[in-house]
Amino acid sequence: MALRNTSRRTFLAGTTAAGALILVPDLIGQARAQTAGLRLRMERDNEILDPGYMVGGSEVSAQKQCLPFLAEYDMKDGEVSWRPTYYVTRLEHTDPTHIAFELAEGLVWSKGYGPVTAADVKFSYERMKGTDWSGYFDALDHVEVTGDRTGTIVLNTPFAPFILVTLCHGTGAVLCEKAVTEAGGKFTTDFPATCGPYLYEAVPGQRANFVPNPDWAGPKPAAESVVVQIVGEEKAANLAFEAGELDCTDIGADTLARYRTSPPEGSEITIAGELRYMWMGMNTEHPKLQDLKVRQAIQHAVDVDSIIAGAYSNTTSKSFGIICPGLLGKRDATKSYSYDPEKARALLAEAGVSGLELTLKTLNAQDRLLTAQIIQANLAAVGITVTVLPVDDGTFWEMGMEESGDGWKDLEMWIMQFYTTPDPYEATQWFVSDQVGVWNWERWKNEEFDKLYADGIAEQDLAKREAIYLRMQDIMEETGAYVWINHEPTAYVHRKGVTISTAPSGELDYRRFEIA
Amino acid sequence: MLSDPSASQPGAGRPRQRSNVRLGQFLGSPKAMLGLTVVILFISSAVFAPVLAPYDPNALDIPSRLSGPTWAHWAGTDQLGRDTFSRLLFGGRVALKIAVIGVSVALSTGLILGMIAGYGPKWLDNLLLLAFDTVLAFPTIVLALATVALVGPSLELVLIIVIVSTVPGYARMARTATLALKNDEFILAERSLGASTPRILAHHVLPNVVGPLLILAAMDVPVVVTIEAGLSFLGLGVLPPTASWGTILNEGYLVINDAPFMVVAAGIPLVLTTLGFTFLGEALRDIFDPRMGRGRA
Repeated sequence: MALRNTSRRTFLAGTTAAGALILVPDLIGQARAQTAGLRLRMERDNEILDPGYMVGGSEVSAQKQCLPFLAEYDMKDGEVSWRPTYYVTRLEHTDPTHIAFELAEGLVWSKGYGPVTAADVKFSYERMKGTDWSGYFDALDHVEVTGDRTGTIVLNTPFAPFILVTLCHGTGAVLCEKAVTEAGGKFTTDFPATCGPYLYEAVPGQRANFVPNPDWAGPKPAAESVVVQIVGEEKAANLAFEAGELDCTDIGADTLARYRTSPPEGSEITIAGELRYMWMGMNTEHPKLQDLKVRQAIQHAVDVDSIIAGAYSNTTSKSFGIICPGLLGKRDATKSYSYDPEKARALLAEAGVSGLELTLKTLNAQDRLLTAQIIQANLAAVGITVTVLPVDDGTFWEMGMEESGDGWKDLEMWIMQFYTTPDPYEATQWFVSDQVGVWNWERWKNEEFDKLYADGIAEQDLAKREAIYLRMQDIMEETGAYVWINHEPTAYVHRKGVTISTAPSGELDYRRFEIA
Repeated sequence: MLSDPSASQPGAGRPRQRSNVRLGQFLGSPKAMLGLTVVILFISSAVFAPVLAPYDPNALDIPSRLSGPTWAHWAGTDQLGRDTFSRLLFGGRVALKIAVIGVSVALSTGLILGMIAGYGPKWLDNLLLLAFDTVLAFPTIVLALATVALVGPSLELVLIIVIVSTVPGYARMARTATLALKNDEFILAERSLGASTPRILAHHVLPNVVGPLLILAAMDVPVVVTIEAGLSFLGLGVLPPTASWGTILNEGYLVINDAPFMVVAAGIPLVLTTLGFTFLGEALRDIFDPRMGRGRA
């Protein structure tokens, strides 16, 4: 009877209302997830959260929120050191090759996997030696378990920065042995078990949500929850910040320069660090560049000051090597070259080279293209014709890899930038002889360099260690294969009242943010 | 032999009289004159860019970077201190080169393929139609991204992408016109007199189908120019330091807060060229095919 009296309009109104009632909780939930707590930005989806196979960046940030770490960065007045985390009651070198640790009481894995144990630490660190990030664990011999919560990290050689370089970074994350084993030994977009203030939820292509972990008994973070939106374009993220849609985002060189003179209202800038080094590399095995004099001519022809002014708005510091500002072994000047076009022409004449044509490959990013065009103009001034070839990410990172084919044979010059950790050993590891065809695309080998690399890891005396890294950079420069360019800062703009916490290499640690 | 079927229609008049009427219509159309003026300006500024440009478009002057419009630099300077006005003039040369070569090659290729499809056997028509539709269904940007990933960006690649993506449009139009003519009496008469297929196509079909295609070509010029600008904007077009409206627009976009004049300066020629060729094409279409013009109105 009731149906017979229902008009089409009433029916439509009723179903619309019913539909709305069903959708409202979800809409409210979404709105809450998107607006409550901190609103941050990441460039892409977190693809691999497993510390052994991660890409890095925002994945490290996710690990820091959801997994235990034995140590964390302690940055004061530009100095980078480490301190024990909430998760340990003891972490100290007992001798140069032994690090004793004791886990805090009451740490429990999510999903009913029980307490966090020293066996989990052993599993986590020893498995890293067989992963993509094994280089960070070269100095690890094994982990001794001495009790449920106690153990000793045993190194195969004295290596003082092990805690700072390896344990404070994403590689130092402790995993739940049982959960990871059940997951097949590795994981990708979800943590098998967590132990931290936040639980992790990802909406692919949109955002990652960090919501409160109800089982967490440790110190509560300042932000109840964190929403990290995926905004691929840095400029779009900057506009989102200016529009009040984000509480913090990273900024590039030109934005940094603009914000320094006229910052958005109610905002502050924090420089995370300058642990990036950029250079123009030359393939020493390429027929056009085999002659050392030609490479030295190119070194002398490039005006790096113009690059820093034109491509980086004078927001980056000039580089003289691969060791970044604030680290042991940072050089203050180049030794074997400086900007001198006359000398460049003379070296080319000595080499008997004229009408040289070269290709300079670079990532297709604005700052790199500007850098490349300045280099192109500089080299044109000494008679070298350069074709600038922008290439996309996928192609770029395989250009010098032997395992990717014979493309390295055609590689002539390129603009490269690496990130590093706060110890000089990390930056030097990519240029040893074993790395030729892997990351040493310049393709030179030097026995003294290889020996110094090993010595640098083991050396405990700071002065001697500094001398080692200075000499290593001299050797690199003498190959003529490098034109040092700059150390680009990792900078963030954030709301006043929000104190951000970052690793020296720029990864944010949301749990350590402070909110006034 | 009758190469123009419309000549036999009542009231069509003699060709010279019709040409005069059409010229009068063209000269009397404000839209046509505006379009023609802009197109002439565009072509002459591009051709005479080396004479008109006050500076070398690639000369760096980093201390003067991002300066606003001044008497010395009418459209300001870019991030490397290069004169934006000079770069715009030289960017016009790239646009003109792409437009002239791209549209000419696409028009010729499309015309030949379309006539073959329309006049040839049914199986060949179906095969070519499938090919045209396949290319048309492929988004230009996706095609560009895939090709650039394989061979790297270059002006030649932009040309190829422009030609490949615009050929099907001409070919489809030529095919339709050829199909309409295929069984006309004057073609049948030629065939019965023993004329070969190439001769029929070249001497009788071609003159009757090329007119509408030329109008389409005029209207395609701005499309091609924007394709080039779009690809260069994305870094898939010309190589640095070659100036292109797309690269200038992209560079301006990245410093829009510091130097908004760059985006405006790069946008103006793009807008004017697009409008100019569109007005010219529409005016030609209205004059040569008044039914189509009325239909749109």
